[in-house]
Amino acid sequence: MQTEATLAQSDVSELDLVKRSQAGDTEAFDGLVTRYRTRVFGMIYNMVHSEQDAWDLAQDSFLKAWKSIGRFRGQSSFYTWIYRIVMNVTIDWLRKKQIKGGGAEFDDAIQLTEVDPASRTVPKKEALPHEAMERDEIRGRIEKAIAQLSPEHRAVILMKEVDDMQYHEIAEALGCSIGTVMSRLFYARKKLQTLLRDVYENV
Amino acid sequence: MKTFEEAWTAWLDDQLTGRELSEFEASLPDKTAAEAEKTEAKRLGELLKRELSAHPLTNEEFFSHQLREKIMQEGRESARAGARQTATSKWWTIPRLLWAGAASLAVFLIFTVAVMHEKNPAEESQYLTQILNARVDPVVSPNATVSIFEVKQDRVTVLWTEGLQTLPADYAAK
Repeated sequence: MQTEATLAQSDVSELDLVKRSQAGDTEAFDGLVTRYRTRVFGMIYNMVHSEQDAWDLAQDSFLKAWKSIGRFRGQSSFYTWIYRIVMNVTIDWLRKKQIKGGGAEFDDAIQLTEVDPASRTVPKKEALPHEAMERDEIRGRIEKAIAQLSPEHRAVILMKEVDDMQYHEIAEALGCSIGTVMSRLFYARKKLQTLLRDVYENV
Repeated sequence: MKTFEEAWTAWLDDQLTGRELSEFEASLPDKTAAEAEKTEAKRLGELLKRELSAHPLTNEEFFSHQLREKIMQEGRESARAGARQTATSKWWTIPRLLWAGAASLAVFLIFTVAVMHEKNPAEESQYLTQILNARVDPVVSPNATVSIFEVKQDRVTVLWTEGLQTLPADYAAK
């Protein structure tokens, strides 16, 4: 019997895991989750800036993926397919939060206190206290700047710059055209350049 | 044909080649400024990648465990819903089917009776009944004849009298 660790290894093909998941094999699906949970969580975290919310949204996304995996036809990679679910879940959540919060969410309502300092990027070597503080500050500035973008612009810039996804993959994940992706990238970059110029010039 | 935003983005990401690249660069009013902005955009991208890419998922195993629990719970709920659905389907086949049939028949009969009743011609009028009963008084008009043509369906009655000398005084009053 294959263990979860075995299933998560790259020698088991993704397609095989998908096919077995479609046949109702929860262990195979577990293998897919193990492969993508960190990337999915990281992407959602960068969108919502809250550990707890990112955890819940990642859980919701994988649960939805399990329920609808029968509809996955393999026309795109599994990762692109699950990203589409992740983006739908996260953007919906952000929109609802925006409505509840009276529209303040995309400006500067996100407080840095919502972010667990322990959950931030772990440096490869132990950072000096002043370096850690500086890094936290930079990270805080970036999160605040991203929070000012609309959910769609956030998604596009994060998928391109952080996840190195291609235009067509982003378009598939967001269900829009490549032209729309490029246009959103244009505006998201312009806005972030304005908001973060002093950060990347001084780093 | 790419819009300016699309072409600019493609140029920043080094996705323009050949003729498209030379045409776009030729269309830039200030290539030096554009190159400076391209450098800035790349530095922004590097900053985002460095600061945002390594966000760890703590308790990875618990994450998967919690998800497995939710999937199992989902499966149990689906099974229960399926069982309820099956039970409902069986109930449909026997008593509910009979009840539904009987009810449909009753409704049909009521409807039919109501429609037929409505279609019946009206009862004979009281006035015509008086005429028919009285006819013509044989003492007053011994040679009188009365003919009645009646189409009940169309509610038409024609009273044809001949040889009538007088009408009884109370003839129409009743």
